[in-house]
Amino acid sequence: MEHNPILVIGAGPAGLEAARGAADLGYRALLVEKAPVLGGTPILADYAAITPNMENAEVAMKRMVDAVADDPLIDVRLETVVTAAEGDAPEINVTLSTPAGNEQMAVGSVIVCTGFQHFDPGRETQMYGYYEYDDVITLVDCERMLKAGSFVKPSNGETPKRVCFIQCVGSRDRQIGNFWCSKVCCGIACKEAIEIRQMVPDCQVFVFYIDMRMYGFWEDEIYWKAQDDHKVNFIRGIVTEITKRGDQVVIKGEDTTMGRPVEVPMDVVILSVGMEPSEGSTKMAEIFRMPLESHGFIETIGGALNTVTTSRPGCFAAGASTGPADLEDSISMAGAAVMKAAGFLRKHSLAASKSA
Amino acid sequence: MDAIYADSQFQDVPYEEKKKLFDQVAGDMRYESMLYGCYECGICTAACPSARFYDFSPRVFAQVMAREDVHTFYELLNESVWDCSQCFSCLRCPRQNNPGGIITIMREVAVNNGLQSAKDALQAYSRIIYKIMSTGTQVAPDMLQPDFFPDWGPDVVQVSKNLDVWRRAIPPETMHTTELAWDVSEKTRMELYLIWKLTGNLEMIEQIDEGLFMILEEVMEELLEEHGYDIDDIDSVIDD
Repeated sequence: MEHNPILVIGAGPAGLEAARGAADLGYRALLVEKAPVLGGTPILADYAAITPNMENAEVAMKRMVDAVADDPLIDVRLETVVTAAEGDAPEINVTLSTPAGNEQMAVGSVIVCTGFQHFDPGRETQMYGYYEYDDVITLVDCERMLKAGSFVKPSNGETPKRVCFIQCVGSRDRQIGNFWCSKVCCGIACKEAIEIRQMVPDCQVFVFYIDMRMYGFWEDEIYWKAQDDHKVNFIRGIVTEITKRGDQVVIKGEDTTMGRPVEVPMDVVILSVGMEPSEGSTKMAEIFRMPLESHGFIETIGGALNTVTTSRPGCFAAGASTGPADLEDSISMAGAAVMKAAGFLRKHSLAASKSA
Repeated sequence: MDAIYADSQFQDVPYEEKKKLFDQVAGDMRYESMLYGCYECGICTAACPSARFYDFSPRVFAQVMAREDVHTFYELLNESVWDCSQCFSCLRCPRQNNPGGIITIMREVAVNNGLQSAKDALQAYSRIIYKIMSTGTQVAPDMLQPDFFPDWGPDVVQVSKNLDVWRRAIPPETMHTTELAWDVSEKTRMELYLIWKLTGNLEMIEQIDEGLFMILEEVMEELLEEHGYDIDDIDSVIDD
């Protein structure tokens, strides 16, 4: 039985898994990716290691990329975006903008895996001065330094002696309008803190937090590990502002469990920026007429028991396009989405052959 | 490294001095099994009887030590380390920390280094220390005096009047004592003294209360001499 291919939009962890899954089930997949490379944010944002098991991100993503690269059932299109869609599944006609010009294709089902974007700390309502001070960086900037193998004070290249993370930057904040917890930043901060302590053993590392949200095995595998084995200091309390003193930045906050004011010069401050809906997710929602949920991510309608089905028949979403998601979530959702997409196509072709 | 708190005390004490004491605590062989990381959840403090009466929190000890906050450690060592009753109710920690145990080690370090806080805290206990170290018993019947413990009620007056008679009413003969909780043989006292001496406990007392040390040494070494032992030839004393 010949079907139109399953269109997978975005070739990050979720998209790669969805495309691989389609081919494993014997369905054709059309995998489109805006960037010139496969791998998504872990590759594009230069992640050093993935959370929680600390595997080298490039090695881990290469495994996923290799699984789709040479599969004859998967049509991979780089530097390609979907610009229009007409009709309903299983007969949607999409327009692709490719380096060779526009192209029309018919697809049977759609899985949107367009991910998230990192919160831009220029929008934070506290006074952290991300664009003002070189030594105030984000989790992403830190990841890049860790990947390059040298963690230094960005302003002068010196080895830092005291470093801190500030959690929930751009998350859980009514002032900003981002009400959600971004789920992964606690784990990633712990992971990066461990990596810094390993790379610069004499450097003290602090994490200022509201709650440490280390669900499941992340608890002992990264949080306890950071605290027990690597002596990372966790202080409950969020920094209110950062000022400049000499060649250091001074953080000011309250240690809420001790009820004491904290004022410490730091060599580097790392803002644990959260997730926001990506531009691609918003755009795809518009093109495929999929409503957004109240936080601005793509809405899925099945609640807790179906995390991938959207209100548009035959259109599914997986990973961080639907809300904050870690890699485990993203991969699991991609598997669920491709199973539903394949099921959708099969039911339609059975119905078609019956009526024929 | 500076203190992290804007209101940190003892800022005039050099970091190196604080760090030296911190390292003695963290270097203790028991320490590793007493502290993992601290959630700062307060389960230990909620269970702590001392926390109800003093400005004292076992949680603060666990969290400060887990953070290796040398400055706040020094604050604790100079004050609230002495407010713990060493009941170990704090052992219910979900991370399996032992704040009471950390306090045990910190107190030893305070004593071994002759810190003023240790001297002040132990001053009231000279008599008890003397009694334990010279006899191995602590609370003696003759401490039962009405003006010492008014909260024990009016019967104490009655009992303390004829203390030796009351004591002789107790069946075991070893309990027919008034100055000691029970009869202690001279051999036991001498053995006990040698244990204190050889384990370094006497040196600890010398740091804290020199007067007490001198009395103890004089009394006990006289006893040893009476029995024909030469304390300066410790090996022969032990062999005996």
